[in-house]
Amino acid sequence: MISDLFSVTVLIGILASGIRLATPYLYAAIGETFSQKSGVLNLGVEGQMLLGAFAAFYVALSTGSLWLGMLTAMIVGALMGLAMAYVTVNLHAQQGISGIGFYLFGLGMSDLLFQKLMGNVETVKGFPKIYIPGLSDIPGIGEIFFSQNILVYGAYLLVPLAWFVLNKTTLGLKIRSVGENPDAADSLGVSVARIRYFTIILGGVLSGIAGASLSIALLNVFQQNMTSGLGFIAVALVYFGGWRPVGVLGGALLFSLINSLQLWIQVLGIPIPSDIAVMMPYVLTILVLVATVSRVRSPSALSKPFEREN
Amino acid sequence: MKKFVLTLVLALALVLSACGAPATEAPVATEAPAEVPAATEAPAATEPPAAPAEPFRVAVVMPSAINDLAFSQSMYDALVRIQEEMGGPEAFEFVYSEGMFVVDDAAAAIRDYATQGYDLVIAHGSQYGSSLQEIAPDFPETSFAWGTTADTFGQPNIFAYEAASQEGGYVNGVLAATLSQSAVIGVVGPIETGDAKLYVDGFGAGVAATNPDVTVNVNYIGSFSDVALASEAATTHISAGADVLTGTAQMVVGAIGKAEENNALWFGTQSNQSSLAPSIVVASQVYHWEVTLREIIALINEGTLGGTSFKANLANGGEVIEFNPDYALSDEAKALAETTIQGIIDGTIKITLP
Amino acid sequence: MTESTKLPSGKPRIETIEMRGITKRFPGVIANDKADFDIHAGEVHALLGENGAGKSTLMKILYGMYRPDEGEILLNGKPVTIASPNDSINLGIGMIHQHFMLVPTLTVAENVALGLPSSRGALTDLDRVSKRIVELASIYGLKIDPSAYVWQLSVGQQQRVEIIKALYRGAALLILDEPTAVLTPQEVDELFVIMRQMVKDGHALIFISHKLHEVVEISNRITVLRDGRRIGTRLTSETTKQDLANWMVGREIGFAPDRGKVEIGEARLKLEKVECGSDRGTPGLRGVSIEVRSGEILGIAGVSGNGQRELAEAITGLRKVTTGRVFLEGKDITNFAPGDITELNLSYIPEERMRDGMIKDFTIAENMILREHHKMPYSRMGFLNLSDISKHADELIAKFHVKTPSRETHAKNLSGGNIQKVVLAREISRNPRAIIAAQPTRGLDIGATEYVREQLLIERRKGVAVMLISEDLDEILALSDRIAVLYEGQVMDIVPRSEATPERLGLLMAGVHPEVSS
Repeated sequence: MISDLFSVTVLIGILASGIRLATPYLYAAIGETFSQKSGVLNLGVEGQMLLGAFAAFYVALSTGSLWLGMLTAMIVGALMGLAMAYVTVNLHAQQGISGIGFYLFGLGMSDLLFQKLMGNVETVKGFPKIYIPGLSDIPGIGEIFFSQNILVYGAYLLVPLAWFVLNKTTLGLKIRSVGENPDAADSLGVSVARIRYFTIILGGVLSGIAGASLSIALLNVFQQNMTSGLGFIAVALVYFGGWRPVGVLGGALLFSLINSLQLWIQVLGIPIPSDIAVMMPYVLTILVLVATVSRVRSPSALSKPFEREN
Repeated sequence: MKKFVLTLVLALALVLSACGAPATEAPVATEAPAEVPAATEAPAATEPPAAPAEPFRVAVVMPSAINDLAFSQSMYDALVRIQEEMGGPEAFEFVYSEGMFVVDDAAAAIRDYATQGYDLVIAHGSQYGSSLQEIAPDFPETSFAWGTTADTFGQPNIFAYEAASQEGGYVNGVLAATLSQSAVIGVVGPIETGDAKLYVDGFGAGVAATNPDVTVNVNYIGSFSDVALASEAATTHISAGADVLTGTAQMVVGAIGKAEENNALWFGTQSNQSSLAPSIVVASQVYHWEVTLREIIALINEGTLGGTSFKANLANGGEVIEFNPDYALSDEAKALAETTIQGIIDGTIKITLP
Repeated sequence: MTESTKLPSGKPRIETIEMRGITKRFPGVIANDKADFDIHAGEVHALLGENGAGKSTLMKILYGMYRPDEGEILLNGKPVTIASPNDSINLGIGMIHQHFMLVPTLTVAENVALGLPSSRGALTDLDRVSKRIVELASIYGLKIDPSAYVWQLSVGQQQRVEIIKALYRGAALLILDEPTAVLTPQEVDELFVIMRQMVKDGHALIFISHKLHEVVEISNRITVLRDGRRIGTRLTSETTKQDLANWMVGREIGFAPDRGKVEIGEARLKLEKVECGSDRGTPGLRGVSIEVRSGEILGIAGVSGNGQRELAEAITGLRKVTTGRVFLEGKDITNFAPGDITELNLSYIPEERMRDGMIKDFTIAENMILREHHKMPYSRMGFLNLSDISKHADELIAKFHVKTPSRETHAKNLSGGNIQKVVLAREISRNPRAIIAAQPTRGLDIGATEYVREQLLIERRKGVAVMLISEDLDEILALSDRIAVLYEGQVMDIVPRSEATPERLGLLMAGVHPEVSS
């Protein structure tokens, strides 16, 4: 039965679903990479995703426009980010705790709105698959990489884009310096507050899209607490990826591929208890993290509020 | 420090207003009862004393949302039906706390309700057991009900209730085996325990009894709420050749969507899931907890506050197989289902679980 | 060139800057009280004053980090408003902060480019920036690789990056806030060469330092601040170190502390080939063998990060010794628990006095019994004896002149000098056999420094063995009987007081044996 794992169908299945599962992680974790690079730990990602998921779903359902749904999710994410930025940058609140506060807010608010505005689990027709001409016909590869919906493609394009912004632009330089030594940036006239507002709001927007990718592209339903801890895993992936977009991509793919592998292991009836199988992605990710973590260093100013001395 | 506390409190306040506090608004029991006063009401056998001066007050704590199309909704729907039967909010009042997936929060809610003097406090979730075991002795005048389980902890004020979900699972399995053309069926479960395991095992037994050549692939995803993983599990089943799927617990809404996208058939359980994908849902096993609730209410009115455990099944009407009217099920298949149900009720069909 | 209005960097000169009647209030304090200051092109103007005299505040106002409550700033005779560092940078003012304002994970070029508009719009133009850095470096004789990461650079090189950063932004006036505090004597000399060149080219330099001999060496004029005001400004050529010290503190300062004759006795503290790790996982100490004898002060000199911290921690039991032995009065105490070493009457004045020397949220009385709290008379059968603790605290506060509202004041509310007095009081009142004093005067003003040094000399006279770990060469030279120089975890040499000169020690601190190099 274990040999069944190595059939072409199964391998394609594992890869294709791994690619899909990684999508929401990528949006959320790349967004979190930006805010952590600038020195802000945002633990509210999960809440932003939930509200984003609901906003996208509800607007798409009531207007029939998926793009309007997307836009709403982005705005909702941006507003959550704005609030987080105010609390952490202006009020110098402890970031971990306020992030948890925003998570709880998103969790409760998305559920409340769901009850009041919808009341029932419904479905929408989400973003359709886009078959890239030519490429999608390649056997295997085509199904895995070139027959996905637009938000899946977007997530993977985001990785090089994020790398470029962080490493090749003046904005990226400012973000990195603010996260490493805000005093230095401040002394050169870089506004620490403005940069952190920007990254936190950007993180919110991307978390909103991450939520939308679930509710109107991959799953096409909304349900209470549907993200189910995904946002927290995204935060962990930022650490895993060593605050580099490529590392985040690696972590998201590793986690997702092992998750789809364990689904197949169960489906093929390979005699591993289901409790053990579902632990596999977590255990393996932790093992990889343990093996690599000593080599990466977090941004020095991470989770420290910035204030000019005295 | 002050600022951080302020933030936290504000955020928590918002959350509590959103989902934590008991939703005291007793749901309005449709339009009907206003026109028809007590007289025409005629609920069957165990009839509670008609229209007492004080309404019978029930509180329920549930792990997910009342509209999850699954476990929590089955209880909510039952309470609404009881309320209709008994003549509206004047005679039967109920409040609920939903989304109590954090057991500590649920325990606090259970204790609150007991303090507020509800006649019956229902802890609708097997994970609440140990909390209830601690709370119940502190309120000897209050009756508690705990599901899904058969265990009353030997306490005089706890009722237990459960569903013989393997029975409906078996019926669904018989139909699924008949309808599958690829001879592969996929099952998406949450965690391999309790009600979910009963249903999945019953389903497997039904398939095996009908056509031993059909493969049943079972997948437990390790979560009651991870919609994304449930959906990916469904996709995996379909890639593995399944053309009929079933699943249990609230996260299966994602799986139903994938089934619909790929034109695979779906069998539901716990609540009627037809509305979500009318074209592919064949039938749902639906829990009618009102059967159990009626008996519990009658006992309480007689002065017995607990000690009994109940089982909802096909025979007592606590479980009903509801067919989706929008799905064109052949008459032979429907007849086969009816025969199977009858067989289970009269005992000619014995379900053997692994 | 002398009459040119342009600097070699191509930017215009600042002929004069005047700060007039500057007042800055913080809640509860007046940092600057109608302070005046002026500087012109082509001079090094030193700013002197004790901690809290208002030097930093005045300079932060000039650099736009604070807004003054009153007063005005004139540039070339015209009033200007400086509301942010951006404003001051645009006016040609640069600042080299005491703690470098560099991002270690970025390259030199990235650090220089940070915050500046790029010729490529949103994209960085590091190639162009690097080219200009090389240009500027050659004009001013600063050697620097634009593509190196800052964390790879030595402290002296990092300071050059700071200077380049300011020049790149067209700085005509440069504020140097204690630039020599972190340098070896050789690096200080190099810095002074650069500073003299800049002044010759028409820059104006403000030099802040505690070290009077440096001020006298490099500056043209000196302004002394006390209590937020200007006490006066003089030409350097018309003043002496002694004058300046008295002027700063407002009273006579004993400059060369009275050492007195002391009989040197037996070895109290002895290290034999001690090795241990460092926090970074690299070797911390590599085969250190030294002894400190009764009645002597052994100075440990070295540039920061060459094993000083590890040395103190290895002796006091805070860091595991991997090989070698540590003896206290002949008893092997290698890897004893810190508490057990305390019991043997070894006292320790830690480098991070706020972090390791006290508990910030405890009262002074509580901090004074941290070592002895579990013993009679402070503790009886596990209960604290509050009346004896209070009595003890009051005695020490009086004896060590701790300036505090009461013994119940929390330690975090004291000034640095008074905190050090509390630590000193606690450690010395135990009648120790040996004392490890790590950077005991770092960050203290002249008055408090004088007091701490005096106390160490008093202990020496009592026959205590004192190990003085300090990065301040003047302090080492003034107090020590013998001087050991640490370099990369090794003892380069142990030099008797009579043979120690700053030059000899400086070479040793840089890892060079004078005999070998010459």
